[in-house]
Amino acid sequence: MPADASSEVIIRIHDLHANAGETPILHGIDLEIRAGEIHAVMGPNGSGKSTLSNILVGKPGYEITSGEVLFRGKNLAEMDPEIRAREGIFLAFQYPVEIPGVANNYFLRTAVNAMRTHRGEDELDGFDFLEKLKEKMKLVEMPEEMMSRAINEGFSGGEKKRNEILQMLLLEPLFCILDETDSGLDIDALRTVANGINQMRSAERAMLVITHYQRLLDYVVPDHVHVLSKGRIVRSGDKELAIELEKKGYGWLEDGAGANA
Amino acid sequence: MSSDLQSLTRLSPDRIPVAPSDRSDQIHTDPNWLATLRRDALACFEEQGLPTRRQEEWKGTNLAPLAAMEFTRVGASPNFSIPMQEDVGLGPLLVFVDGAFDPAASRREKLPAGVRASSLAEVLRDEPESIKGYLGALTDPKIQPLVALQTAFLSDGAVLVLDPGTTAPHPIRLRFISTGDAGDSSAGTSAAFPRLLVIAGEGSSLALVQEHISSDDAPGLTAYVSEFHLAAGARVECLEVQAEAAARVHFTSLHARLEENATFDSHVITVADGLVRSEILVELVEPNAATKLCGLFMGQKTAHLDHFTTVDHAAVNCTSDEEYRGVLANESKGVFRGRVIVRPGAQGTDTKQSNPNLLLSDRAMIDTKPQLEIYADDIRASHGSTIGQLDSDALFFLRARGIDEAEAKRLLTGAFAHGVVARIQNEELRWVATTQVDATLTQLEKSESERPK
Repeated sequence: MPADASSEVIIRIHDLHANAGETPILHGIDLEIRAGEIHAVMGPNGSGKSTLSNILVGKPGYEITSGEVLFRGKNLAEMDPEIRAREGIFLAFQYPVEIPGVANNYFLRTAVNAMRTHRGEDELDGFDFLEKLKEKMKLVEMPEEMMSRAINEGFSGGEKKRNEILQMLLLEPLFCILDETDSGLDIDALRTVANGINQMRSAERAMLVITHYQRLLDYVVPDHVHVLSKGRIVRSGDKELAIELEKKGYGWLEDGAGANA
Repeated sequence: MSSDLQSLTRLSPDRIPVAPSDRSDQIHTDPNWLATLRRDALACFEEQGLPTRRQEEWKGTNLAPLAAMEFTRVGASPNFSIPMQEDVGLGPLLVFVDGAFDPAASRREKLPAGVRASSLAEVLRDEPESIKGYLGALTDPKIQPLVALQTAFLSDGAVLVLDPGTTAPHPIRLRFISTGDAGDSSAGTSAAFPRLLVIAGEGSSLALVQEHISSDDAPGLTAYVSEFHLAAGARVECLEVQAEAAARVHFTSLHARLEENATFDSHVITVADGLVRSEILVELVEPNAATKLCGLFMGQKTAHLDHFTTVDHAAVNCTSDEEYRGVLANESKGVFRGRVIVRPGAQGTDTKQSNPNLLLSDRAMIDTKPQLEIYADDIRASHGSTIGQLDSDALFFLRARGIDEAEAKRLLTGAFAHGVVARIQNEELRWVATTQVDATLTQLEKSESERPK
């Protein structure tokens, strides 16, 4: 996807320090993602990948201690999670929750209409919503009966991840964060999920793909790859960096000596 | 001998010399057995007095608000005129005002042959012998003082009789309205004593709605006792909605006796703002009887909602499945006691019980305790209660999809409450319950959002 210096900066992270609970996890992250770009953040367990995604969506319990994050020029710290979502930030969760008693289709329509109302558009009625829903469900190969079931209740790991991608397709965010979306997927499910993600690639949209392994990046090819270690970006490069990491593991970067821009 | 509620007991039919012109057809045609039943019950109440928290069964509930009431009458205020009854169901609707049948407000649909829905007063006047041996047969006034009190005033209510093999095609609906003072404070504090007797013949089938509402928020007492006799293979599903006003004390005591293969499903929805005590005793006396006891209590303001249930497994291969859920806002308090008795020889018993509770406020309280008394060895029994707030991960997930916090809370609270309503089999019953629960959820949310921060 061509992205040049003239495209809009969707997210700008500047010297971000953050805690998970009382524990400092991020120690100065700088990252800029422009419209049309896909960035991958890779790193070993405990490097701060999930803290970064939780900070971006405003999960309670995660706190910015210094630095800032700007979303299209607006300070994220001043926005509630639901406002961030309506402004166009979306996180596909690593562990999607099950919510017994709340039907998937009802939830999706409520969420879609919250977005539309925020953008000053008319709410979709049941019929129009259903048309749209069916179209997007085909893309992630979800059977229709899953829509009348409760959110993620009794879904397999793969079904939960597809459901996340379905939500992303319906909500049409400007900035998509995919947190270990590939974990626990077999190769077919991985391909389906990757197709869904690739559907979302566009010149207006930015993506941050957080992953431990390189295999998702075979399907969703990033423009930039960053390696996170101990709360810092220790190396950045292009997709070749991901391949190198897959061969060598993370050990050679852990001391920070290999860091460069 | 107790002096509790003297202002009330002196009003009992037994004490008041009745002018024949006044209460013409009732008292004077009462058969001897009924007069005896009432007199003995009054004596039982006066012997025991009101229950106190020193008694195990009443540990969670203080009846001081009832003890403090000065009663001036039993039955409706003379000023009260009944408003038009909203009526959307298909089956018969029997309306009772302060315990007395109101034919004008009722709609007595034609029922299939063998199914009868009558007022108790009518039955006592026309064919009292038909219910002799049933009325009062499942209750024990000697150990339940408030049941004794109710029995002492027993005069009207509903009698539902299903001959063997018959089915009521639509739910029969009973609406009990307490009138308070009808805006006239000189009308004083009133008590109402409606009664229900169900005789379900072999293989018969009934769905039943009982609603308790009040027309204003004047203090008073409603004491309601219901008895369900289920012959072999009979199936009864009933919904009881308790929605009386805050100043009123509501007591309800249900007694069911199940013969072989009978099925009794009870759904209790308690949304009253005041003091409620709801008791259920189900006796499984013959093999393969099954009961499902579901309940939802939703408290707001200073409501005190006490549910005390007992399932008595006295025969082999019976099942009981109980789930009561509590949703408590503001300073409301819930009490749940689930007693299960498995008698010696009741092998093959399968009993389940759960009581999950959702506290919407840090000032709301729940007091919950299962009580299993098991004297047989070849059985399956499970129980559990939980107390919690809304799941914070679920709440965050919904917000991260753009749904605002209040709406997300409403969705999750609604899902929790409706989870138990979904267990109602009969569609009309489920519709009544759903409508009530939705309305109450809206009130709960309002009263929580109005609380001082």
